[in-house]
Amino acid sequence: MFKSMRYVLNENRRNMYRIYSIAKYELVSDMRDSRLGIFWNFANPAIQIVTYWFVFGALLSRGDVKEFGRTLPFIDWMLAGMVVWFFMNPCITQGSNAIFSKVNVITKMKFPVSILPATVILKELFNHFALMIILFVFFIFRGYYPTIYWLGLIYYCISGAIFATSLAMVTSVLNMLARDTRKLILSCMRLLLYLTPILWPIARANDFPVVKNIMLVNPIYYIVSGYRDCLIYHRGFTIYWKQALAFWVITLVLFMIGSLMMYKFKHKFIDLI
Amino acid sequence: MSEYAVKLENVSKIYKLKRKDDGKNKKANDTKRFYALKDVSFTVDKGDVVGILGTNGSGKSTLSLVLSGVTEYDSGNMEVIGEQTLVAINTGLNAQLTGLENINVKGALLGLSKKRIREITEGVIEFAELGDFLYQPVKKYSSGMKSRLGFSISLYLNPDIIIVDEALSVGDKGFAQKCLDKMNELQKEGKTIFFISHSLPQVQNFCKKAMWIEGGRLKEFGDVDEVCDHYSEYIDYYNSLSKQEKTKLRDEKFAERIVENPEIGFIEKIFDRLKR
Repeated sequence: MFKSMRYVLNENRRNMYRIYSIAKYELVSDMRDSRLGIFWNFANPAIQIVTYWFVFGALLSRGDVKEFGRTLPFIDWMLAGMVVWFFMNPCITQGSNAIFSKVNVITKMKFPVSILPATVILKELFNHFALMIILFVFFIFRGYYPTIYWLGLIYYCISGAIFATSLAMVTSVLNMLARDTRKLILSCMRLLLYLTPILWPIARANDFPVVKNIMLVNPIYYIVSGYRDCLIYHRGFTIYWKQALAFWVITLVLFMIGSLMMYKFKHKFIDLI
Repeated sequence: MSEYAVKLENVSKIYKLKRKDDGKNKKANDTKRFYALKDVSFTVDKGDVVGILGTNGSGKSTLSLVLSGVTEYDSGNMEVIGEQTLVAINTGLNAQLTGLENINVKGALLGLSKKRIREITEGVIEFAELGDFLYQPVKKYSSGMKSRLGFSISLYLNPDIIIVDEALSVGDKGFAQKCLDKMNELQKEGKTIFFISHSLPQVQNFCKKAMWIEGGRLKEFGDVDEVCDHYSEYIDYYNSLSKQEKTKLRDEKFAERIVENPEIGFIEKIFDRLKR
């Protein structure tokens, strides 16, 4: 167990530059693909945000959100959580495809397969940073000025990346064993968006304690509430210690399973195609 | 030259075949297993240049994958002294990026450091003879250009053991000659080279030793001229056969390679079911 974890960590550490280069050039080639290039990295989330705002904020007139004793306009409250979704969603869907999309590479050269999930996450991190800058500008315009609490975003961002990498290690190997994994994940992601309190405050689930508890241990919700806390509520890390504990236990378990599978199958991937 | 670079002892590699779906076979556990390589043993000394011959589907490529460490073998023993590389031409090239960027990408994929990539870039550019196309996206390249670029990057990797799998069949004669010259140079530096090719003259020219793989088994390993003669005799013989005889021969060969009563573990069984 520990052997495999050490193996995966070592392989990732030794190949830092490889990870960075792969992520960088994947990003560059994505942009070359279309004429407007980087514009789409912003346009897609923007259109999605407008859609959700239109449906939930305007049409359903959800109005302001009351949480932790403060009332916020729906759009601000949603955006603070939505950026996390725009980061986690591609991480999870593309993470499951991390190994399979590089099949032509791993069959032709000796390649440290266990770094592939990290490359996908790193690429999405670049995108995420670009989106965060826009979000910062938007928030400053709306009157939320940067405070020391905004630095907490770094912690939550890194935590999210670690969680996504661990999850991708599990799903990408499973996807090699049976390609159905990715299909399953793709169809579950939509569900997950509504199961994570991003578009509606968690207080709405108060009548269903079981559902609420499940949502509270949802690792993505931990990141979402972390982002909201840093940007808006400023309540500090310690208040979420129970969620933090659940988050890190889940991440650790995923990482253990993921490295075990990576280690077990490291030479078998080529035969699984 | 007593030092060996690669030593194989009874190496076998088994592939799974999908069950024939003719509706009659209903037994759950009859995914066939098939020897891609069977009991291959040989020793190659350091600095040798070995040509690998064989008809299509005889296991040459599998051998190259095993030798380069890309895939694992199922039984036997393999010892390799030094770092080995499979020269793969088109892999790792990204069609959207320019030639220069691709040198960086492929270099990074192959695990070179940033410094090393900068060092080799000039040599690769010169060797690949791309000219102004260097700054064009690779999707605009002709197939010859692509393989020239890919091959050049691989050659500058500086491994101890180089495995070339039909890499030269795409480029024009001039470039093939240039590659052969480069490989001769590498060989003088004491590199071990495995050269897989269908072109007998190339093999005869370039290699000192040759091995002939037929039906997953090592049929002959020795001096290049002898092996090449026997191989071309066999090809002539095979071509002289009538259609039925050819089919019969092929079927016999195939039947020999099926694994009899394989021991299948529990997890393997689950995989068989999943993969069907």
